[in-house]
Amino acid sequence: MVTRRLVRVADAVQLTVVLIVLALPIAWTFLSAFKPRTEVAAIPPRLLFTPTLDNFIELFSRNDFLHNTLNSLIVSSGSTLLGLVLGVPAAFAVAWHRMSWPATATLFARMAPGTLFLLPWLLMFSKVGLVGGYTVLILTHAVITLPIVIWVLLPYFETLPRELVESAQIDGARQDQILRMVVLPIAMPGVVVASILSFVFSWNYFLFALVLSGVETKTAIVASFNFIGEGVTNWGALMAAAVIIALPPLILTLLIQRKLVGGLSAGAVKG
Amino acid sequence: MLRTQTLPSYSDAVAAKATEAAGAGGFNTSLAGNSFRWMAAPALLFAGTMIAFPFGYAVWLALSDVQLGSAPRFTGLDNFHRMLADPEFWNGLRLTLLLYVVSLSLQLVIGTWLGLLLARFQSARGLVRTVMVSPFMLPPVVVGMMAIVILDPSFGIANWLLSQLGLPPALWLSNPDTVMFTIAALDTWQWTPFVALIVMGGYLSLPHDVFESAEMDGAHGWTRFRYVTLPLLGPTLITAAVLRSVDILRFFDIIYLTTQGGPGTASTTLNILAYRRGFEFSELGYASAIMVTLSAIVFGSVLMFARLRRAVAW
Repeated sequence: MVTRRLVRVADAVQLTVVLIVLALPIAWTFLSAFKPRTEVAAIPPRLLFTPTLDNFIELFSRNDFLHNTLNSLIVSSGSTLLGLVLGVPAAFAVAWHRMSWPATATLFARMAPGTLFLLPWLLMFSKVGLVGGYTVLILTHAVITLPIVIWVLLPYFETLPRELVESAQIDGARQDQILRMVVLPIAMPGVVVASILSFVFSWNYFLFALVLSGVETKTAIVASFNFIGEGVTNWGALMAAAVIIALPPLILTLLIQRKLVGGLSAGAVKG
Repeated sequence: MLRTQTLPSYSDAVAAKATEAAGAGGFNTSLAGNSFRWMAAPALLFAGTMIAFPFGYAVWLALSDVQLGSAPRFTGLDNFHRMLADPEFWNGLRLTLLLYVVSLSLQLVIGTWLGLLLARFQSARGLVRTVMVSPFMLPPVVVGMMAIVILDPSFGIANWLLSQLGLPPALWLSNPDTVMFTIAALDTWQWTPFVALIVMGGYLSLPHDVFESAEMDGAHGWTRFRYVTLPLLGPTLITAAVLRSVDILRFFDIIYLTTQGGPGTASTTLNILAYRRGFEFSELGYASAIMVTLSAIVFGSVLMFARLRRAVAW
């Protein structure tokens, strides 16, 4: 009994250390964002300070950061929607007919480095004059969201009772009706997980917008990168930007924590 | 070939299910009007336009001399010959593999330890999970921004902590000898919790009577871990390794944000090198050759793990 208790205490101590190591940098970033400008880079670091919103005010007033954040929202929502529109029917067809090629194709997209596609995309989309617009960003980010949607939904559709669909067919339902009224409601929990993961990964993605966005469509992440490139030493504003970008993924994933790891490793377990 | 190699269990399952359906004389999927195949068509069209065609295009660019403003000229393997003679390529390959080995081993070792710890410790699960999930849900760009501020040689809190411990300050991201290790540490900080959660899930789904009988046979501590737990966790660890390999080999955001490949070329991995060649020097053909090579390395590592998975299957 004594050893068991000792093990438990040792476990608790180790886990606490790990949690501190994981949480501290994030906590430090959030604290810094609310520090007065002169104290952000103070040595020794100050833990006690009067919180202020100055960094956020400066971020949004001096820069176009509000516009950048809206761009990020447009691109992430657009690509999530496109991923769902293409991915939900595809995942159902794949699961129903036990096809294997679409899964392979999207797995390929998940494995190849983004830089590989970037040059061809740049050449393709500049031919049709789309570079710098929302369309190209939504289309390219859908390359990230579509595999997520398909892989997250496949297990849901694979366990769908076939009789349900078959009896709807006997009742004379059209195929799109079957998809909307029979299949989707059952897979709804999966659709929620797929949407949140798609949104978060599209929101977090840097490389495609770095090359393909224009002045008007620059996402919040690319805009923050530019602050650093301009040698902005205003750490307060930088940390405020980090907080604004970090909040949506952190909050959204709170909703699906339990399903998160399964969703992210979907596909790899099978592949 | 790719299908059968990378998706063995999936295609096996497909085949098994198909036989099962046929054997039961079940649902006839070929009946006109009963096929849902067309529903995959839009996604297929999209994948063809946005993935397959650009991939072919990239391969073709890699085999061409491309100057902006004039038509590309087919030059065969010239770009690859140039690549093999380019010290920057070998430097990039070395750094890519260094990051791969260091990051992946750190994440698997710490992740296994942490995952088993999590499986034993079941209190405050909500809080623990929230903290565990947060790092890998952060955009890598935010991790880079945090690194710039926290690891700043003069004003960062990291060096202040070192000085409190009586240690000399470190040049985290500006020392060419250690910069790759700093970057590996950043990725390890961000993704080890993910590996740990996979390991925890894998461990908790194992048949627990195995552990009880091992315990009765006198296998404790390290012996139990080495001869019972670890072999049983094999498939789980390979899943984690595949997921992490793919991301680590094409690691880009944090390097580009914090060091842009520097100091000098001390953190110019293949992905960074290819990006700079393509978008900063407009050497489209040469950059594509590097990117195609990097893709081959990624696929190669996935194939390797697919084989290893069959070896450790139980």
